Amino acid sequence: MPHPPTDHAKWTPLALASDIRTATSAGTVWNGAEIVIWRDSAGTAHAWEDRCPHRGMKLSFGFVRGDRIACLYHGWEYDSTAACRYIPAHPELDVPATIRVARYKAAEALGMIWVAPLDQSAPAPVDETKVSALRSLQVDAPLPVLTQLLATAGLPGAGGVRDVVVDGSVIRLTQGALRLIAGLHPVDGATSILHLGVQGTCAPDTLATLVPATAALRRLAETTAAGAAQ
Amino acid sequence: MTKPTLWNYDLDDACYRVRLMASLAGVRLDLRSVDAFPGHEHLGDDMLALNPLGRLPVLEDGPLILRQTEAILLHLARLGPRGTAFLPSDDAGVARMQDWLFFASRDLAAPSQARAVAMLGAAGDALALKDTARHGLRLLEDHMTAQGFRGQGFVAGVHATVADIALFPAFALCRDFNLDHDAFPALRLWARRVRQLDGFITMPGIPDYH
Repeated sequence: MPHPPTDHAKWTPLALASDIRTATSAGTVWNGAEIVIWRDSAGTAHAWEDRCPHRGMKLSFGFVRGDRIACLYHGWEYDSTAACRYIPAHPELDVPATIRVARYKAAEALGMIWVAPLDQSAPAPVDETKVSALRSLQVDAPLPVLTQLLATAGLPGAGGVRDVVVDGSVIRLTQGALRLIAGLHPVDGATSILHLGVQGTCAPDTLATLVPATAALRRLAETTAAGAAQ
Repeated sequence: MTKPTLWNYDLDDACYRVRLMASLAGVRLDLRSVDAFPGHEHLGDDMLALNPLGRLPVLEDGPLILRQTEAILLHLARLGPRGTAFLPSDDAGVARMQDWLFFASRDLAAPSQARAVAMLGAAGDALALKDTARHGLRLLEDHMTAQGFRGQGFVAGVHATVADIALFPAFALCRDFNLDHDAFPALRLWARRVRQLDGFITMPGIPDYH
């Protein structure tokens, strides 16, 4: 069945889905904005501003209980709509509805968690193929440098690159017998994060052997970026 | 059996490793507080007589006086009723554990130093130490990423060993010197597994979720 075109430029992958386990949270930075990605106990992923409205503590330092995330500082609990539901210091209080965390849209597709501003009307990316997660890799290189390197050379030592498709924040390419799917997001002007997976079901042994190649890509990209900066 | 004495400073991450290993292994310690910061008691004559290196932790167990953190951890693992679980019984396992123990003491020394500069008044180049710490943690992240695909949740294999306890605070406390956990997804999962070990205890900077 045909599906509406998705816009991989309007949604951005911020994490590998498998790295955010049920009832855990993690912080990341997207174009300078600090974001907490967390999964409630039912497995639904959420992306919010990484800041408790109470004292500004990062919510990614906190902990998930049931369908709520709690701040590490004073235990304020927020439900999946980002409304504060419980303040331990005032257990009898009916918490005012105005205490809320700023939210983003979140969706899962291609083994990644995608985020867009709340007013983004473009449909979320579609989960059209299974992806075996390899790893998220933070690289001290601007997004265009990392994108260019990956699109031309792929993973160092993994063979010639062919069938490259660059689609917004996603690059697909074939190296040897592997079809790689890479989501990319900028941390800031100097640092990027690559969310790397292999299309289909990939044997864990094969994924393990690719780890040194990802480290080599990080070295190459950082050397390239440092050279370009001089 | 008399309890071993740990000359301890609560905020020192190496002392924490010892308290953690003792708790996991089921060894009760006689804790003696040393005011390392700001008091510099570890550099006084009494403490220098025990450890001329001027460093904590020091473990005194009868005639034994141990001053190297990794040696203390190995000793406690042999001493405690639950400690042998942290010591592999096969040659390759022992070799891997020791390889990561030396990694902890040599190649991953920077996080502890960076934290001491940031929090405990130690001298040093904070930015250079943070860079070195990040590099070391990246190598550990690479290793734990591959370990995950091998079905091995800990640094030297399927089970936690003394090496995991030696390495844990370097990651768990790196926010103390402004290095976020964001870039280390495999270490986050590994730290969760360490936290779930029977007898796990925290220290200031490692939250006790409630």
